[in-house]
Amino acid sequence: MDVKGTDRQSMTSQRLSKRGLLGGVAALAGLPLLAACGASSGDTGAGSSAPKTTGPVKITYWGTQPGSPTAEPAVVDQFNKAQQDVIVNYEFQGAYADLANKLTAALQAKTAPDVPLLSDVWWFKFFAQKLLLPLDDLMKSEKIDSKDFVDSLYNEGIRDGKAYWIPFARSTPIFYYNKEAWQKAGLPDRGPKTWDEFSKEWAPKLKSGGVQNVYGHGDNGSYIAWLFQCVIWQFGGAYSDQNFNIKIAEPNGVKAGEFYRASVKDGWAYVPQNQANDFRSGLTAAIMGSTASLAGHENAAKFPVGTAFLPEGPAGFGCCTGGSGHAILSTTPPERRQAAMKWINYATGKGNPFFAQNTGYMPVRKSLLNGPEFQDFFKQHPNFKTTVDQLPKTKGQDAARVFVPAGDEIIGKGIARITTNQEAADVVFKDVAAELTREAQPVLRQLGK
Amino acid sequence: MAGTAALPAAARGRTWAAVGSRRRTREWLTFAAFVLPNLCFLAAFSYWPLLQNFYLSFVEWDMISPEKIWVGLENWQLVLSDKRFQQILGNTLAFTAGSVGATLVLGLAIALLLNQRLALRNGARAVLFTPTILPGAAIAVVWVYVFDPNFGLIKSVLAYVNVPGPKWLTDPAWVMPAIILVYVWKNVGYSVVVFLAGLQGIPRELYEAARVDGAGAWQRFRHVTVPGLGPISFFLVITSLLGSFQAFDIIRVMTAGGPVIATTTLIYQLYVEGFTAFHAGRAGVYALILFGVMLTLTAVQLRVVERRVTYGS
Amino acid sequence: MAVVQSVGAAGLAAPPVRTPPPRTRLPLRLVGYLAMLLAVVIIGAPMYWMVTAAFKTNREIYTIPPTWFPVHPTMDNFAIAWHTAPFGQFFVNSIVVTAFITLGKMLNAVLCGYAFAYLNFPRKNLIFVLVLCALMIPEEITILPNYLTVANLGWVNTYMGLIIPSFGSAFGTFLMRQHFLSLPREVLEAAEVDGATDLQALWSVVLPMSRPVLATLLLLTVVRSWNEFLWPLIVTNSANMRTLPIGIFTLFQQEGVTVWGAVMAGAIFVVLPVVLLYVWAQRYIVEGISAGAVKG
Repeated sequence: MDVKGTDRQSMTSQRLSKRGLLGGVAALAGLPLLAACGASSGDTGAGSSAPKTTGPVKITYWGTQPGSPTAEPAVVDQFNKAQQDVIVNYEFQGAYADLANKLTAALQAKTAPDVPLLSDVWWFKFFAQKLLLPLDDLMKSEKIDSKDFVDSLYNEGIRDGKAYWIPFARSTPIFYYNKEAWQKAGLPDRGPKTWDEFSKEWAPKLKSGGVQNVYGHGDNGSYIAWLFQCVIWQFGGAYSDQNFNIKIAEPNGVKAGEFYRASVKDGWAYVPQNQANDFRSGLTAAIMGSTASLAGHENAAKFPVGTAFLPEGPAGFGCCTGGSGHAILSTTPPERRQAAMKWINYATGKGNPFFAQNTGYMPVRKSLLNGPEFQDFFKQHPNFKTTVDQLPKTKGQDAARVFVPAGDEIIGKGIARITTNQEAADVVFKDVAAELTREAQPVLRQLGK
Repeated sequence: MAGTAALPAAARGRTWAAVGSRRRTREWLTFAAFVLPNLCFLAAFSYWPLLQNFYLSFVEWDMISPEKIWVGLENWQLVLSDKRFQQILGNTLAFTAGSVGATLVLGLAIALLLNQRLALRNGARAVLFTPTILPGAAIAVVWVYVFDPNFGLIKSVLAYVNVPGPKWLTDPAWVMPAIILVYVWKNVGYSVVVFLAGLQGIPRELYEAARVDGAGAWQRFRHVTVPGLGPISFFLVITSLLGSFQAFDIIRVMTAGGPVIATTTLIYQLYVEGFTAFHAGRAGVYALILFGVMLTLTAVQLRVVERRVTYGS
Repeated sequence: MAVVQSVGAAGLAAPPVRTPPPRTRLPLRLVGYLAMLLAVVIIGAPMYWMVTAAFKTNREIYTIPPTWFPVHPTMDNFAIAWHTAPFGQFFVNSIVVTAFITLGKMLNAVLCGYAFAYLNFPRKNLIFVLVLCALMIPEEITILPNYLTVANLGWVNTYMGLIIPSFGSAFGTFLMRQHFLSLPREVLEAAEVDGATDLQALWSVVLPMSRPVLATLLLLTVVRSWNEFLWPLIVTNSANMRTLPIGIFTLFQQEGVTVWGAVMAGAIFVVLPVVLLYVWAQRYIVEGISAGAVKG
């Protein structure tokens, strides 16, 4: 590069550069302006106490838009419009895990919300640190009848006789099947009564009827552990008892594990890359999946979708609950707690039919369940009725999955070793049990046991 | 200023003795003024968290509790004695070696082939470079679809030649190659562009001289091309290595570290410990191991370059 | 550190003269064209897939065998994506945040790079390695501590919180330093003889010779900040402060339906502006990476 050329270039560039310099400085000067217009109405502080006013109380609610991007915000909207006492400021915080992570940081930074939506595996963490309020008194003052909640859903949020976690977006696993494939195989239009009936009698018929796969297992860690929880119960086993005694490695648990292992080995089940996709495209004739996926399956599948109770195992029926619920943080100042409870009451009560019907999550109150809001809906959506009929037979989850940190992942990876790597169930579950026991220690300490 | 003009032109890096101390002070002040803001930002938002993690690796803390319990080396012991740690290390090395190696080798190969006056070369370069500017999560989502063993892109292509494809993301034997493939897909374009430029920068005369000396194609490659590319390879290797150690988006969306832990690398396990299990202590350990590995590799690189420069190329 | 100095020294070789290569023999050219075609197809196919999926109905996406061209092309996905989250506001925020982050980062990179290349300071190279260390600190370990820092400053859910933490530059500093070290010294010395201060030298001499590398750094910085997802998600609370990548995220679902076509449509919204920027800046970029890296 010769100097002359540089000079000529540099002269023009000098002008440009000067312009650029001035522009840059001007732009940076705009930063303080930005600072001023940045803070939005969404800013919340859990620390300061609100001055006594007669206006509506503002609370902040963190949600994850479960089931549909629009249903949850719509419920908030409805609530805000339906009354004048409370204004809910809704903030979407990502998936359940993102919300939980942000909540820990927010608690330290004192920017926590009033009501967070916590999933089945996250709420206990905050409870164990005494960050959740017991809600019974608040419920009473809002005249909420706790017995109106569906028992299995509500009881899962009770510790030491008090309620900490109120059902909002709750689901259970259910058996989905491809009615067309069923027809081709000459099977009756219902779900199998037992796994034996399914694997020994129906599977061969389905295969000869031309399906590519008979049954698809769950496809990712936490989900797998959730679904298998039902199976281990159906075999008379459990992940643990409520006192954190780990039971997964006991004989019945191992039997259930071997059942899963054989299912893949014998070829009537497989581990799909994406369970929902495979089912909807007809690649697998049946799956066990969340009730929350019902609407999605029905919309996307080219065949009529059938639903049924979960098949029974040697020890009978077993089905767990799942999903997320509301809690009130103990950092919420007293003057906002009542308002928070009002929101929860609406979301899990009057707002529940709209939410459930637009997402596929369960009805959570018995009175509404039996009322016209849902009964009409069932007539048009018989599959949805199946999920609701199964609900009374469900039970809250085992402590090992939901109360031990990352318990769901630990169990899920263990099951993956059994189905994908075909390792022996007793060996795998022994490892899993050891890890669960170790991880439960800090929780037990926090609970003072 | 007359003093400056008297200095040898090549030595802007002047010796201290020759420079007036007032000038030196002014230079130091300018340096400080230029560098300090950057260092402040980096200190506040990068170094401070690293130091925190260093501290956290010695405590037990679940990120919620108000107290952090000092446990000394217990977290370190736990992590290093975990029987999965070896596999995680192995995965990390396999992923890094595979993705960086393939990116550089493929990048160089394509660059060599493109280093001719071909029509539409700029267009090809543009297409090759585009994956680099796409967000990682979007790429991962598309590739999950591409890899689908039933209706993915690869399956359709293989179907034309009647070859059954593997179950990319659910087969432990194929999943790591699959992840490496995606990563290379994303980054090869950048290598091609850089190598191309480097190749074009090697003076023709050197090739002519070698040819005159009777060197064959391979020898010309070894003795002219490779040394000529030295500086670029250095820059690319450093940035590629550091990038691949921190590759996370793709693994998170495509495999979540699975099946089981077949694609769990150090960074992914760091995420699991910190963000899923809330074990701040163990996450801190992984953070430091990762940092130590990267720092060591970079330092080694720098030494190698120094030796090459010292002894001539 | 002597090693780092020598890295710079390696770049001090006289800039090579770039003459076009002679026309190579036909077979090699054919292989070249073949390689080019193969590379473009392999790289381009997944991107093609992504674009066509945005125009397919959900049912068609689940068809086997998959269709190469949408049978019933639809614009619904774009509408769904646009209305699911306030993409308009997200666009504005993304532009504002990216613009300021790029400005801050580039300023730091240029000043810092200049200082490392041309100024003296005790232990300068140690400080440079310190800056390099910032490249070894993954986002996952900075995100929660930074949230606390930002919260203490009162910047949660503000533009400041989105922008300021990204002002530091390590990669850019590295790139600019390497590039500056490779520039011919004579011009710089001429400026110094003329009595220019460092800032003047920077503006009127060094930067004009660095336009390609600056353009490169600009594009890379814009891309990285535009695609940022984790930090904006955690430091903002309300939809009116959020950026585009978070928009796509809301289209994913956990237990319910994910409309993949809408996700792809959303991804196109995010990617399009950057692609346009790249197309415009392309000729500078390619030149720039060459100029920056060859000498470094």
